[in-house]
Amino acid sequence: MKLQLFYLTVLLVCLAGCATGPQSRLPELIAAGYGKKQHGCAAVFPEGKWQFSHTIDFALEDRFGTPVIGITSLNGKDIDVALITVEGLTLFDAAFHHNGDTEVRRAVPPFDGPEFAQGLIGDIRAIFQSPTGNMVMGQVAGVTSACRYTSNEGSVVDVLLDVSDCWQIKSYSSDLIMDRSIVGRSCKKKGSSLIPDYLELKTYGQIGYTLKLTLITADKYK
Amino acid sequence: MKPCVLPAVLVLCLFVLSPFCQAIEQEAIPLQSIQADFIQEKHLKILVRPLVSTGTFTFQNPQSLRWEYLAPVPSVLLMHGDKIKKFVERDGQLVEDKGLRLDSMLVVLGQISNWLDGRFSDNDMFIVSFIDERTVLLSPRDQGLAGLISKIELKLAARKGFLDGVTIFEGPDSYTKMTFENRILNKAVPLSVFTKK
Repeated sequence: MKLQLFYLTVLLVCLAGCATGPQSRLPELIAAGYGKKQHGCAAVFPEGKWQFSHTIDFALEDRFGTPVIGITSLNGKDIDVALITVEGLTLFDAAFHHNGDTEVRRAVPPFDGPEFAQGLIGDIRAIFQSPTGNMVMGQVAGVTSACRYTSNEGSVVDVLLDVSDCWQIKSYSSDLIMDRSIVGRSCKKKGSSLIPDYLELKTYGQIGYTLKLTLITADKYK
Repeated sequence: MKPCVLPAVLVLCLFVLSPFCQAIEQEAIPLQSIQADFIQEKHLKILVRPLVSTGTFTFQNPQSLRWEYLAPVPSVLLMHGDKIKKFVERDGQLVEDKGLRLDSMLVVLGQISNWLDGRFSDNDMFIVSFIDERTVLLSPRDQGLAGLISKIELKLAARKGFLDGVTIFEGPDSYTKMTFENRILNKAVPLSVFTKK
């Protein structure tokens, strides 16, 4: 029991944003003109109404938590999220509205703290929603096409296309140190969207964590 | 009450079937073992369609259980005597999940022998009531459990000793429905079923 609480506590702390500093710095981008690849970056982020279910495996260093099933419903900038045990128990169910409001409908301890909800939605928005800020297209080392989004605060998100037949997203803090990476694998085209069968999200810092998401279902609905 | 109590509750539901039939029909065959496939549907307001899981279970009196999810997330819960283990799939392999608290399963299994004798009034986890002769309602006594599960509805099959389904309600828009099929009663089960993943 203590071990389980330890994992959960660390998960909560990490999701609250403890990543402070991997050593990967923002690579140079060789700017290129706008073209058809801009549309390619858009394909990374599903548009319209979607619902995804994933198996989510949490890992801290080489230790793993218990897998859960994650439900993510996208409706524009509004997102509904639920975490469900394999046995069907709802651990967490919340709506995150585009205006920043959060409605937690159910949260079983220790998932009932506001830090958990905010950390969770931070990771989910990073996966499913296009970054904001000024966008420049170009090339970075080893990747033929990338979209770089720079926020007013100076943080940067690189969306890398055509990496192992899928895509990657790398986020950098305002001091240009990578704090989160998302690697998609086995992408399949659904409409105009590129949906990975597998996603691996890593945060970097004093206590980095890894979320491994294996796609169960991807439904576009009206 | 911890989230991992749910497997225990599911087990509880399964074992309610035989004693209730005994109470109703007064002629049930003593339960030695039961095997079945199950389909689990998770319903939640935000779900576009139910989340469907499939699996199998095997129980042998008095305290042996194999509860296995085959899809979409493979996992196996094994109980034999006082030993309980859970295995989950990771990178294509079933590996032991050591972080999960499973002692609640022992509590449930400890009560099974009572239920097999039809002594439901002894159940200190739930208030038991009959809605009709085929429907049984379990309401949590414990406030902690009630925070997770509002009620459990059991649908008894026409054939004695069998259960058609279990629905576990969390709230008005959230419930998990389990239906059972291919049931086999009182067939000898090898020990390895309860000890090996």
